Amino acid sequence: MTMQKSIQEINEKIKRGEAVILTAEEMVELVQSKGPQQAAKEVDVVTTGTFGAMCSSGAFLNFGHSDPPIKLGGGEAFLNDVPAYTGLAAVDVYIGATAISRSRGMEYGGGHVIEDLVRGLEIELIGRAYGTDCYPRREIRTLFTLEDLNQAILCNPRNCYQTYVAATNSSDQTLHTYMGMLLPNFGNVNFAGSGCLNPLTRDPEYRTIGIGTRIFIGGGTGYVIGAGTQHDPQRGRGTLMVKGDLKQMSPEFIRGATMSGYGCTLFVGIGIPIPILDERMASNAGKSNQEIFIDLLDYGVPKRERPVLRKVSYAELFSGKVEINGKEVPTSPLSSLKMSRKIADILKKWIEEGEFLLSEPVERLPQTGVFKSMKEIQIIPKVRDVMTKKLITARPQDSLVKASELIKKHSIDHLPIVEKGKLVGIVTSWDLATSIGLGKRTLAEIMTREVVVAREDEPVDIVAKRLEQHGISGAPVLNKKGELVGIVTTDDISRLWGRRR
Amino acid sequence: MGSEKITQKILLSYNAEKAGEPILATVIKETGLLLNVLHAKINSQGGEIIISVEASPEQVEGILNRFRSMGVEAKILRQTISLDRERCIDCGACISVCPTRALKFSKEWEVMLDENRCVYCKLCTEACPMRALSLTKLE
Repeated sequence: MTMQKSIQEINEKIKRGEAVILTAEEMVELVQSKGPQQAAKEVDVVTTGTFGAMCSSGAFLNFGHSDPPIKLGGGEAFLNDVPAYTGLAAVDVYIGATAISRSRGMEYGGGHVIEDLVRGLEIELIGRAYGTDCYPRREIRTLFTLEDLNQAILCNPRNCYQTYVAATNSSDQTLHTYMGMLLPNFGNVNFAGSGCLNPLTRDPEYRTIGIGTRIFIGGGTGYVIGAGTQHDPQRGRGTLMVKGDLKQMSPEFIRGATMSGYGCTLFVGIGIPIPILDERMASNAGKSNQEIFIDLLDYGVPKRERPVLRKVSYAELFSGKVEINGKEVPTSPLSSLKMSRKIADILKKWIEEGEFLLSEPVERLPQTGVFKSMKEIQIIPKVRDVMTKKLITARPQDSLVKASELIKKHSIDHLPIVEKGKLVGIVTSWDLATSIGLGKRTLAEIMTREVVVAREDEPVDIVAKRLEQHGISGAPVLNKKGELVGIVTTDDISRLWGRRR
Repeated sequence: MGSEKITQKILLSYNAEKAGEPILATVIKETGLLLNVLHAKINSQGGEIIISVEASPEQVEGILNRFRSMGVEAKILRQTISLDRERCIDCGACISVCPTRALKFSKEWEVMLDENRCVYCKLCTEACPMRALSLTKLE
C-alpha cells in the first residue's frame, strides 16, 4: 500500500509540533541510505534554498500623493539617479533590477536601489510630469525611506530557475557575461544554481509548487504567483513568478550586484517548502547532485544557440574543477551555496517552530512551456556583406616605402601582411607614421603579429564590438578554411549603420 | 644583525635576451633563500615572474640587487588586497578567475583569501559582483 499524506495533514502535524522537517541536503542523505519509501514515511517537509543573481526582479513602489499632486505616470522617475518605469498610475513606479544609474553606470543599478531600500537608507526621488488639471505639478525632488512608502512589493517575473547552465569560453578573449567573467581558452567554468538545494529540482513535476505556494523570499514570506516567463519545465528549465513584501525583508537576502561589463542585477534569496506527500515525491526530493545534470555551454560562440560541450553534474561542478578536452578547469558557483543552506535552515526552523505553514496551491503550474526565439523581421548582415573584397596585401620582407606607396595609391589604412598565402601580420598607416626615423626597413619589423580577425560569416555587430574592445579600426576577414578573403573596417560598418537609421 | 624576517613579493621583468638564462636558479643557489614562484609568464619574448620570499630586509635588498646585476628588472610589490566580509556573499565568482588559488572555499563554503599567494592581478576585484575585494597600493 502506498502511503499518501495531504498538505492539510502535514500542517496539522506542524501545529502539533510533530512534523519532521529536513533540508534538501539532509533528505538526499536519508533517501540515499534508507530509500524513498522509508523517507516518505519519516519526513513531512523538505526545505530548499537558493541565493543567486535573478535579473528578472524588481519592485512596485507606491509613494502616496504630494501637495500639489503630481502624476509620475507617463512621466519620468529616477531613484538615486536610476530610471524607474512610470507607465502606471500617478504615484506607482516599478524599479527593475537591471536599470543602471545615469551618473554611476553599472556600478549602481535598480538592484542596489532595492537593497538600499531594504537597508532603510534614504533614497532620492526625482520626478518629472507633463501636468494635468487634476495633477498640476511638473517636478518633484524628495527623499524617502522604505517606511515612508505605502507599499513596496518585490514582484519578480522570472526567478528560481529549476536548473541553469554552466558557462565556459573557447575564444581567445575574456568575456564579461551574465555568467560572470569567462577567461579565454577554457580558462574557467562558472555555473549558477545550488544543485539539490534548488527549489524546483525537488518538485520537478510541479505537484506542490503552484500558484499560491507560500515561500521564503528575501528574509520574509511571499508567494508564488504563477509560472515565470520562459517557464520550460520539459527541458528542466521551469521558472517562477514570485512576490514578497520588501518591508519584511532583510538586506542579508536581497543584494544589488554588478556583473562587470555586463550590468546590474539583484541577488534574491528564495526558499520553498516541499511537502513529501508520497514515495514519488520523496524520490524526487532525494535526488543527489550526482544525478542533476546541466549543459556546459561555450559562450565563446556569440550566437543564440551556444554549443553544448557536454552535460555536467552539480557534483562535478561543486568539486571545484571540471574536465574540458583533457584539461582540469577551475569552477565558480555564482549562487552562494552557504547562503542557500542558510535559507533552507531558516525555513526549516520557521516550520519547526510553527511560524510558517504550508499553503495548498490554488492552481498547478503549466507542465509544458513556451520558449520561442524572438520574431525578427530584419536580417542581421554578415561580415561578407559589408567587407572590402579588393585585397591589397604586402609581404613581410617588403620595405616600409613600398607599404607607404600601396597605402597612398589605394587610399587604405590597413595592409594585411601575407606569407605563402597565409595571414602573418598587419601594418596600418599609423604603424608606418610612427616608425619613421626609427631605422626600420622591412614590414616584418613593425607589423602586428597577433592580428584581430573577423570571419566572413560572423554578424557585423559582433565584429563591431570586437573592434571597439581592441580599439582598432579594421580587421582582416578569413573564410572557413582560414584564407584571407577581405578586410572589414569601422568605415564599412558605419556606412551600413548609417543606412539602417 | 638578526633583523626580523618579512615576507616580500618581488616582480621580476625579463627581456627577450635574459628569458633563456637560469637567473632565478642562480640567485636561489647563491643566497640559499627559498624563493617561492607565485606566478610566471615567460617565453622567448621575455616575461614576468612574481616570487615571494621570507627574509630580512637586508637579504631582500641583496636579492633585488643581484637580479638587477644580471639584467633583470626587480621591484617589490607594494600592494595589499582585502576581502570585505560584510559585503561578501560567498558566491565564489572570484574563485575560478584566481590564477594562484589565493581565493578558495573553506569547508563551510565560505570564501577565503590567502594574501600570501596573491599576485595582485585584479581579476577577482573585477569578477566580484559585490565589490567586496579591493586592492590598495601601499606607500
